Amino acid sequence: MTASKTNSAPPVKRPTAADVELLSAAQSTELAARDLYNSAIAAGAGGNHLASLVALSAHHDAYAQSISSLIGADAPQTRDDELFNSLVADFGSETVGAALAAHGLENSIVAAHTTLVGELVGTDGAALMASIVITEARHCVALATIAGKSAVADIDLFLVTTAVATTSAPSA
Amino acid sequence: MSHSNRQELQALTKIVRATQGADFGSALQTSLSRRRFFLAGGATISFGALLAACGAGESTGIARIGDSVPDNALADVEVTDVVLLRTATSLEYNAIHVYEAVASAGILSGDAATLAARFLSDHRAHAEATSSLTEQLGGTAFTQPNPRLQTIYVEPALKLIVGDSGSGIKPTADPVADVLALAYALETIAGSTYQAYIPKLSDPALRGSAIGIGEQEARHAALIGSLLNPDRLVSSFGLSIAAQYREEADVPALAYAVPTSFGTLSPAPVILGAANESGTRTTIDLETPSLNSLIYED
Repeated sequence: MTASKTNSAPPVKRPTAADVELLSAAQSTELAARDLYNSAIAAGAGGNHLASLVALSAHHDAYAQSISSLIGADAPQTRDDELFNSLVADFGSETVGAALAAHGLENSIVAAHTTLVGELVGTDGAALMASIVITEARHCVALATIAGKSAVADIDLFLVTTAVATTSAPSA
Repeated sequence: MSHSNRQELQALTKIVRATQGADFGSALQTSLSRRRFFLAGGATISFGALLAACGAGESTGIARIGDSVPDNALADVEVTDVVLLRTATSLEYNAIHVYEAVASAGILSGDAATLAARFLSDHRAHAEATSSLTEQLGGTAFTQPNPRLQTIYVEPALKLIVGDSGSGIKPTADPVADVLALAYALETIAGSTYQAYIPKLSDPALRGSAIGIGEQEARHAALIGSLLNPDRLVSSFGLSIAAQYREEADVPALAYAVPTSFGTLSPAPVILGAANESGTRTTIDLETPSLNSLIYED
């Protein structure tokens, strides 16, 4: 670590040009996640936890909108089609399968966005992504529960962040 | 007060009494005479003179004993990356203290005890990580619970759970539920603390390290939330979703796996302890460390 010992220098608040690129990729990932949840919901997944899946979709939509608020006209407003197409078959009508696929997706997003927070220069973007990462980590736990996993026997599924190689969430 | 000042005060008192109950609306419209104008102006001047006289240095009519002590100058401290990391470490030790106290009291058993042991192990690892970062920055690692948070949150909460005969606090009726509720709030605040530090840390790489720990605290909280509220894992409050997916309750539950769409920095309330005569239990609002609970370097 090379941080200075004092925080007296005023930090950069607004996203830099490089930040905007990173945040744009993050927005496309969020929109792909939203659409993947919507695909599973439309196919009939959810069961007793349908309302939770609907809420998770709404969360990702909110994240995309918040990134638009931050970077304005630079926001792509389009989903990451490569990510969506690579996973949409897993987000089908079967609740456990869809929940496990979503769990893997959320884990990858948490890993990618944690890296992103460490690379953003502007504190506005870093603070926003931090507030998103905190909740996306919680998503992983909710999805492991929906998938019927044991909080004791399968504890690492709930608590350990592991990126899934099949997703193309931005690694910044 | 001097004789002349006393006379002016008496004159002012007469004017006030003379105008009590007067109909100013009609009086102003019909007869704000030249004489009354001067009278009012004179009263204003006299009142000003009275105030000036009271404030004069040589007028010492007000009783005073001794001299006031000069204010202590506030310490000139700076919130550095090291301070933030030391504070984060102290919060980890608060959590370690809670889980160790719960284990030694034998409150939890079975799966709950297994989970608590895992959380304890994670917090020890987090404390090691933040201590290591502190030392890499040239600081001295802090290896104790945050004293202020221990005093205002942790110790009162534990007394409410196990009781304290010395202060007449009865043990709670359901210690397992209370421990889970306390752990949920504590883990939530731990995650919020790391989130709050992101824009304060000067080094982006440190921000990444901090949120990497914070998201693990959030997972702890979510797991406890899923145990406390298994039927509704993700709150619908604050979301623009169709009515059939909304919760029927008017207010959110105290715990969810996912309580909000974004991580918040708001206090985490926890209701603990035995009910009093009127059936009320104690609520403690846990908050992220503020300026008076940061761990500054000596």
